[in-house]
Amino acid sequence: ASFGLYFPRKEYSENVYIDQPAGTPLLRIHALRDAHGEVAHFHLCQNLIISRARSHENHWFQIREKTGLLYLSKSLDREDFNVLSVGNWMPLSKVMLYVFLSSHPFQEKECDSATRTTVFLSLINATAPACSSLTARQLCFTEMDLSFHIKENKPPGTFHQLQLPSVHHLCQNLSISYKLLAAEGMPFRYNENTTGVSVTQRLDREERERYELIAKCTVREGFREMQVEVPFLVNVLDEDDSPPFLPNGTDTADAVVEFNRKEGTVLATLTVCDADTTPIYPLESSRKKYTGTIITDDPWINETFRVEHIFDEIHFSPNGSQVRGTQHEYKLVLNKSISVTEHRSFQLDVLVNDTEFHGPERSVVLHFNVSILPVSIQFPNTTYQFTVNRNAERFAQIGKICIENCMKFRGVNITYKLLSPNVSCYAVSILQGREDKYGSLYVNDSSVLRRLECKEIQYTIQATDKQSRKHTKTLLTIVLEGTLLKKEEDCPDSCAVSKHYAECEECGGLGVLTGRCQWRQGSGKGITTNYSTCTPSIKTCPDGTCDVVESKDPAVCPQDCTSGNIIGGHGKGIGNLGIKSGHGICYCFPRQNCYCEKDDIKEQLCDEVCKTVI
Amino acid sequence: LAGPPSPPGQDPQGWRAPVDCVRANELCAAESSCSSRYRTLRQCLAGRDRNTMLANKECQAALEVLQESPLYDCRCKRGMKKELQCLQIYWSIHLGLTEGEEFYEASPYEPVTSRLSDIFRLASIFSGMDPATNSKSNHCLDAAKACNLNDNCKRLRSGYISTCSREISATEHCSRRKCHKALRQFFDRVPSEYTYRLLFCSCKDQACAERRRQTIVPSCSYEDKDKPNCLDLRNVCRADHLCRSRLADFHANCQASFQSLTSCPGDNYQACLGSYAGLIGFDMTPNYVDASTTSITISPWCSCKGSGNLEEECEKFLRDFTENPCLRNAIQAFGNGTDVNLSP
Repeated sequence: ASFGLYFPRKEYSENVYIDQPAGTPLLRIHALRDAHGEVAHFHLCQNLIISRARSHENHWFQIREKTGLLYLSKSLDREDFNVLSVGNWMPLSKVMLYVFLSSHPFQEKECDSATRTTVFLSLINATAPACSSLTARQLCFTEMDLSFHIKENKPPGTFHQLQLPSVHHLCQNLSISYKLLAAEGMPFRYNENTTGVSVTQRLDREERERYELIAKCTVREGFREMQVEVPFLVNVLDEDDSPPFLPNGTDTADAVVEFNRKEGTVLATLTVCDADTTPIYPLESSRKKYTGTIITDDPWINETFRVEHIFDEIHFSPNGSQVRGTQHEYKLVLNKSISVTEHRSFQLDVLVNDTEFHGPERSVVLHFNVSILPVSIQFPNTTYQFTVNRNAERFAQIGKICIENCMKFRGVNITYKLLSPNVSCYAVSILQGREDKYGSLYVNDSSVLRRLECKEIQYTIQATDKQSRKHTKTLLTIVLEGTLLKKEEDCPDSCAVSKHYAECEECGGLGVLTGRCQWRQGSGKGITTNYSTCTPSIKTCPDGTCDVVESKDPAVCPQDCTSGNIIGGHGKGIGNLGIKSGHGICYCFPRQNCYCEKDDIKEQLCDEVCKTVI
Repeated sequence: LAGPPSPPGQDPQGWRAPVDCVRANELCAAESSCSSRYRTLRQCLAGRDRNTMLANKECQAALEVLQESPLYDCRCKRGMKKELQCLQIYWSIHLGLTEGEEFYEASPYEPVTSRLSDIFRLASIFSGMDPATNSKSNHCLDAAKACNLNDNCKRLRSGYISTCSREISATEHCSRRKCHKALRQFFDRVPSEYTYRLLFCSCKDQACAERRRQTIVPSCSYEDKDKPNCLDLRNVCRADHLCRSRLADFHANCQASFQSLTSCPGDNYQACLGSYAGLIGFDMTPNYVDASTTSITISPWCSCKGSGNLEEECEKFLRDFTENPCLRNAIQAFGNGTDVNLSP
């Protein structure tokens, strides 16, 4: 695709003074070619844009169609100045006009060509200054940076004139000369007669993308000599002229589906590189330029897999100068969860296509060796046996039930169920753990534990995969042990209510395993996750997660599960549940407030604001 | 209303005080020709660019009539009642007229005329507890203390801090949307003598600079998993009327200028600091990038990686935050308590 002619700058600027005579040159605009033989024609939009929203018909400025010289066609008097200042609410009045470019003489003089550059003219509320009052910087350069962009692979040409036409016109008695300081071998030339700067050869961005030169200006006025140096920058613009390639030649990867069968799982990643840049802005169009498609006729493969494409900028150095390129990653992703019974192996090919590259090697094929292995739903060989103390209370956690590899599973939903026991001793129940990986066994009816005829209870546990309905069974034996303790009177329901070691360990509460609460002695240093507290079981409470059993009753472990107020220095847990960290001793009244405080010294409570003080 | 411009010297700044857009809209609605033209123009602008619009005779006629109405030059005030409505009216006209691809957009806000010295005068209430002579003092800590002594400042500060540090789940660190809203409330409703002291306090050690960096709870309001491209972020910001206006205001008031002593437009530090604070709580939220005491580097959460051919433009955009002498001078001047002395 041909870009056509283009401007090497996006913006130009110059000052305009009151009563400067008609014919005063203002600035020179250049165009660069896309192909040999193109001739540039410049044209001005007929509206001046004042203060963004307003516009005014242009009576004052014109451009030479062939040379790109912008000049005053009519003197700008004070009245004109007032007209053009309306709506400008900054002290400095600026008008903006667009210059258009075409390879043919302009037919219709309208503002609708795509190729344009912007000229900012600052209207100065004064007559043109005397040359002697201008600094060397003002005589030599405008305020705008000397920064240009040149497209790679395009014919050479002149793209800038260092001399300022307005200053040259105004200060003819001054000698202003320029030089372009460049390292040897740079593809730029300065012409002393015209002060024009040209690019002398086609540029290649993949070789070098930025040239930093220095423009030096010397002003001589009689015996006085002043010098100014400013940076002169050239950026090389990229086009898609490099094909995709494989780093290290790797085009194959293994993709194994076993325990992780969940939708969205990334199975394997292959990388494709390209020396061209790929803008991440706007993202969608870049994605369309570089495509990755699964080559298959199998509808099952199409439904089950997708390819995700991400890309990132990388740097490489062809000749010591750093240039940017792109690394594309193609990820093979599960598009839906795969059943545990599925068993297949095949090669999946992905066609990567650099759609804007015009050449034979515009695409590469990536190969993924996919193996989908079935997984078995079965318990480990042994049967389960748990011992439960007769003094355990309701919601005491006895243990976990887990099929083989259950913790490795993702995307597999297992349901655990207790089948009726042999006798009428229904003491325990089971609850599904997080993400349906395991089952938590807990005491459901503590009165059964106290019944002497219940000694050893046998259950059958069944685990079922929700999707395939595959199931497996094993035996569970619950052995009751211990002698019944006498219940303390005046003990609260919940261990968390106790504030001191003594009252904690002489009472029981919901969730206790042996009839007594347990005291956790914290480190006592500031606000810590290791705070002192009274709990039914140090193993499960507080551990930072409100598990399924704890969430059955707020009195079991409010330290992990409370959603109420916490008074005193503390940090809240995930999802605003529980006390993640506390100051001193933390105790709770279930369904009411929790308190964290130092027992010994009465310190001022620390609130949200105090906490953030470093 | 677009009569002859005011004679120079009528206003110290040289501009007319514009009508606010909500009021201008009311004035226009009361007049049948204006209101019908405004409707026409809004239809013209919907989904079209300036050039297509100007090609249509009816649209052009509407534009010409509206150029004479107060709607054309209307502006909005920061923190005014119905600010969003005012900005919606402003952009309903200006969005189609500006090109959208313009690097700097004109600010829809009225110019700020007050100066930093006004704030210093107000802040002198705290001078008793803020011994500037003591070289060991931590100005950022003093600013936090001063805020805690003011009920309004304390309430809104605790409000945003607790909102921004509330963990939602193991994967969602906090609610960024709520955090941004709370931050906007803080900066809109608390007087700037409190908020600027927190944001722009000067520091001699790292603990102080870290506190300064932490002012806006950056882990929630600023940082993100990925750093987007700055031009992409600018586009996201420009899709929102408020963010777009605040960004344009930042560019209008903090754009480095060679023509002034301080590098700030009109040597107005206060205006620059105000429009910087105005960006907090939006997609373009800026912050200190580190806790360095020697150099102040400010940036929004974005980079110029992946800019393709627009890298130059992206870096220019980013430099207005990272290497902006006006912004840096304004922050340092506030921290040191030195405003420029301007001849009246």
